[in-house]
Amino acid sequence: MFAYVVKRLISGVLVVTLVSMAIFLLFWYGPSSPAQPICDRETSNRCGNKIEIYEKTLGYNNPVHEEYAKFVKGVFVGRTLTIASNDYECSAPCLGVSFRTKEPVKEELLSRVPATFSVAIGGAFLYLLFGIPIGVAAARRRGSVADKALVSSFLFISSIPYYLFALLTWLYLTVTFEIPLFSNTGYFSPITEGPWAWFSGLFLAWVALGIFGCTQYTRFTRGAMVEALSEDYIRTAKAKGLPSRTIVYKHGLRAALVPVVTIFGIDFGTLLAGTIFTERIFEIQGIGWWSLQAVQGMDLPVVQATAIFSAVILIISNLLVDIVYSVLDPRVRLS
Amino acid sequence: MSAQTAGPETLGSLSTEPDPQDPTSQQAKEIAGKSPMRIALGRLARDKIAVVCALVVLFFIICAVFAGPISSLFGVSLDTPLASERVDGLNNGLPKPEMGPPNGPFTWEHPMGVAPRTGQDNLAYWLHGCRVSLLIATVAAVFASVVGVVVGLLSGFLGGAVDKVLSFFIDMFLTIPFLLAALTLAPILNERFNTSDNYGTIQKISLICVLALFGWMGTARLIRGEVLSLREREFVQAARVMGMPTRRILFKELLPNLAAPIIISISLMLPAFVALEAGLAFLGIGVTDGVSWGQMILDAASPVYFRDYPQYLWQPMVGVVALVLSLNLLGDAIRDALDPKTRR
Amino acid sequence: MKRNKPLALVAGAALLTLAACGGGSSDDGGNGGEGTEREFGEQGGGTKDAERQGPAPEIEGASTGGTITVYLPGDPGPDTLDPTGGWSVTGNSIQQALTSRSLTQYARDENGQPVLVPDLATDLGTPNEDYTEWTFTIRDDATWEDGKPVTAEEVAFGICRSLDSEAFPSGPGTEYSKHYFAGAEEYEGPYTGKDPNCEKWDGVTVDGQDITIKMSTPFPDMDYWGAFMAMGPAPLGNASKPPNYGQKPLANGPYKIESYKPNEELVLVKNDQWSADSDPARHQYADGFVFKFNQDQAKVDEIMLSDNSDSQTAVATSLGSGNYNDANSQLGERLVQQTSQCVSTLTPDYEKIDDINVRKALAYAYPYEDAWIAGGEVPGVTRIPANSVMPPGMAGKRDFQVDGEQITYDPEKAKELLTEAGYGDKPYPITMVYYEVDPLAVDVQDQVTKGFEAAGFSVKAIPVQESPYNVFFDPDSKVNKQLNLRLVNWCSDWPSGSTMIPALLKTGAVYNTAGFSEPEIDEEMDAISTLPLEEQPDAWGALDEKIMTEYFPIIPTAFRNDLFVFGSKIGNPTGDGSIGAPNYKDLYVMQ
Repeated sequence: MFAYVVKRLISGVLVVTLVSMAIFLLFWYGPSSPAQPICDRETSNRCGNKIEIYEKTLGYNNPVHEEYAKFVKGVFVGRTLTIASNDYECSAPCLGVSFRTKEPVKEELLSRVPATFSVAIGGAFLYLLFGIPIGVAAARRRGSVADKALVSSFLFISSIPYYLFALLTWLYLTVTFEIPLFSNTGYFSPITEGPWAWFSGLFLAWVALGIFGCTQYTRFTRGAMVEALSEDYIRTAKAKGLPSRTIVYKHGLRAALVPVVTIFGIDFGTLLAGTIFTERIFEIQGIGWWSLQAVQGMDLPVVQATAIFSAVILIISNLLVDIVYSVLDPRVRLS
Repeated sequence: MSAQTAGPETLGSLSTEPDPQDPTSQQAKEIAGKSPMRIALGRLARDKIAVVCALVVLFFIICAVFAGPISSLFGVSLDTPLASERVDGLNNGLPKPEMGPPNGPFTWEHPMGVAPRTGQDNLAYWLHGCRVSLLIATVAAVFASVVGVVVGLLSGFLGGAVDKVLSFFIDMFLTIPFLLAALTLAPILNERFNTSDNYGTIQKISLICVLALFGWMGTARLIRGEVLSLREREFVQAARVMGMPTRRILFKELLPNLAAPIIISISLMLPAFVALEAGLAFLGIGVTDGVSWGQMILDAASPVYFRDYPQYLWQPMVGVVALVLSLNLLGDAIRDALDPKTRR
Repeated sequence: MKRNKPLALVAGAALLTLAACGGGSSDDGGNGGEGTEREFGEQGGGTKDAERQGPAPEIEGASTGGTITVYLPGDPGPDTLDPTGGWSVTGNSIQQALTSRSLTQYARDENGQPVLVPDLATDLGTPNEDYTEWTFTIRDDATWEDGKPVTAEEVAFGICRSLDSEAFPSGPGTEYSKHYFAGAEEYEGPYTGKDPNCEKWDGVTVDGQDITIKMSTPFPDMDYWGAFMAMGPAPLGNASKPPNYGQKPLANGPYKIESYKPNEELVLVKNDQWSADSDPARHQYADGFVFKFNQDQAKVDEIMLSDNSDSQTAVATSLGSGNYNDANSQLGERLVQQTSQCVSTLTPDYEKIDDINVRKALAYAYPYEDAWIAGGEVPGVTRIPANSVMPPGMAGKRDFQVDGEQITYDPEKAKELLTEAGYGDKPYPITMVYYEVDPLAVDVQDQVTKGFEAAGFSVKAIPVQESPYNVFFDPDSKVNKQLNLRLVNWCSDWPSGSTMIPALLKTGAVYNTAGFSEPEIDEEMDAISTLPLEEQPDAWGALDEKIMTEYFPIIPTAFRNDLFVFGSKIGNPTGDGSIGAPNYKDLYVMQ
């Protein structure tokens, strides 16, 4: 067990390093000149040969491995970045300085985290809350009319691309029906602007995410449950005359939850890494919306930082899922 | 770790693989048997849902391939009219009554109406949007499966260190959500190519590359699993003993037996790619030249237009949903048909 | 002055602006629909009142208290709050009105006209007879938010900072201070020149409360330039070192900065150290202001039209064209239309298209109204037909028409003109660029191409993914070399022809993308700046007419207007005629 965790940890660190390197290289060699966007911005589009100053101060004339080393060092101990004639302090963990605002990316990133996490946690809570019980109920009534209707309608909903589903939710609930309580979507800090503002701003996003996720988790749970209920030990339990409640919840559900929890772990990690469509449609100022704006504003350091941040979150969540899974299901460790 | 992701927002991770398969399952043996394709086709033909979905998909394919002729048949085109001839600048830029809904009765001149603000014909844009969508999705699916098949074959057949390294890469790519990758690459591509003359084409090609680059892992896994079981089979052993070169074994002996998983993975990739293409255009980081369902949705999703002219949003939306839905269901049916375990 | 309001994507200042140019509709346009007929918040321009002293006259019925929320749809706001670096409509309109004082400022008079009045200076400055030396006396009762008095040294240091074009590459000083101030060309500035106390530049001298600025060329508009916050004080030494100072500059106006999240939000609260007696034009009615940048237009429109408790004390700096009808009938007085002192132009290359008839043919071939509609503008409301370079209401502006009446889209007339010029047999080739990233810009270009082709031109439209200005300003650009038609949007920095005509039409001027060059006109421009002040406006107006009728070098396609939406509890809903923004100085919340 311990050896397995250590092995997974090492491979996790390796993946983080590789991904951060890949992203760094991408932003180094990808653009024809990575300094162009900032030069254009600062000179009101009269960059011309001033580009050389920007390239020089940003370090694009140095060998790439040296700059990557500086970047890594900055992440651990902080650094001072120079853009043209201005110096910018960037404390650890330094992920660079935004081309647009000249603020350390880390600080803005941290200020965006609560919004994205609120969306992710609320949405995930909703779809687990409804998805799993509905899935279990459907599995118990397997083959009934209700089950068939539920499965096919949920299959239909989950075949619609999520962003269209969310868009329709938003349009219908705010434009057509004009539900005034929830029409002002967005992230409001529960501390400074009150829990109600926070709740009403995010409510629609949760609903969209919740319903859509619920259709999928219902199908998952139902599938896992059906499989678990057909196992031999369930038959044994039935033969022993255990009450069907006990069989379903104590023996069936426990086994069925293992794959569901695993899938949820990865899903949730992806949500934490940025709910781009949800944030875009419901105008929530989280990481996804921010990185989308950075893309449109050619704010390369922000895009780079969000990419690295999201990748790290995903890798960590995958790692956790693997470890949890190995705890839940001993067969994994053996193989 | 091979858990399948599924939640919303994860649609980016493109985990198109079906349930993890036990390499020693019945399935592999049966497929390797006689004429599995014919059996599968027979099953599909009996599946009513599959037939309906196939017809819908066929309809979209016809629309895409003959977008030009169909447009001229209706007498519409992508050409830009003078805006003031078709829309009313003082009435929120909505179409004039004689242009059909929402302000007037249906007219054959513009069967699907015209776009607000620009007066462009919706039918022509819808047909060409369909073409863009299917073209990108198909090409990307083909590329992704080629990469997936090659990686899966090598990894499964060679085993050992090669397998370890390739599996590591499969896992690594699986952790990166597609959307994040597209978002990251968008400004770089923009910066590098924005001055080139055929930026529109480059944009589409790079979109295909990104889709393929982050869509091959499912196929690779599927193929790898298949190969793992196949390589222990007698005919492969025999070929080995006869001293057949590895390349020949891979492509002459193994590949033909992998037709079923390849078809399955393509059929699962297509709807995901169609949805993604439109999704990226909706975010403004995919195709940006206006001829795309996603861009039509983006334009139509403003509350003003939605309130007064909902058809404008429904047209591209129905296109995306119907195509994705029928491709999905068709894919499921194909999978069922090819997989004896799930025979109904 | 650049507009960063329509900044959609990438760095360009006037991207959407470029896209959405147009001008001259077929009718006198305007009062669309059933709503009230809208009066233009126009600007008379050129009035000054050197005697005005604080406190500013009370607004009738004004009450104190309340917080005003300002939504700025599609507007990312300023990148920095450093007064020296600010050169955008958004940043300057907010800061100059509320936080950052300078030598002079504008007050809105009872007719809605901006009047130049003193601010930190006790009057509007005293020039010598050839405008090469200006002296301002700094008042002694103005204070910073920390209670310390604003000193003449600090004002002089602020002025010196504006010469550092590397620390403030997009500041207005790069255009004005650098050009006019004596010795400015050689001086690198306090930061780049490693001269933190500005000792190496002697263009400005301090004597007690008096500061004297020496000019290298006559600068009659120094008093107007003094209304820029760049011509205001900065704390000495490291306290105001960029870039950190730009996050939270020290305020000296009626409000100070509580918090600032770039691209997102700026919160201002009352500055209790500001004294009304020291300030001739500002008020301190509301308790605070919250500026929300980068808002979604559709969402803001919904909020403003709903008149709920959120929107009653809110202001929106623009209105989506799709909502104009509703807003016009529903809001009445609370929808304010304000001329933004901007003109959109097409600029035919003066060397390549050397025939005035071809240039006029282009003017008749441009589908003004169609381009506006496709660009999401409301014809006759947010865009009105233009007749010349100087925007309506600017001092000296003449009401003339080049061809006797307003030029409108008339392909037949364009063809006649082309035939007259000897190009009747085959289409006249036009090469232009458009900004492909913005869907609206693409739609506008489609309209323009369509219009031109119907009028006997053939159009090659090259899509670019960077700001078209980038292309225009790069003499080595392959794309630029092919072009024979460019475009420019320009806004006046102050109500004088001197910020419009030379900037667009003088030989070698950066924004002279037509490449217009006539020595005779250049000489006239130079001559006007040495005329007595009161004769200058008319001289600019006459020159404007002369250039348009004799040369027709650029095609003005539209004068631009802004629409501001005020919540029902906002008192005194008016626009600021000097800058194209709501009149923040005089707003209050009704109690």
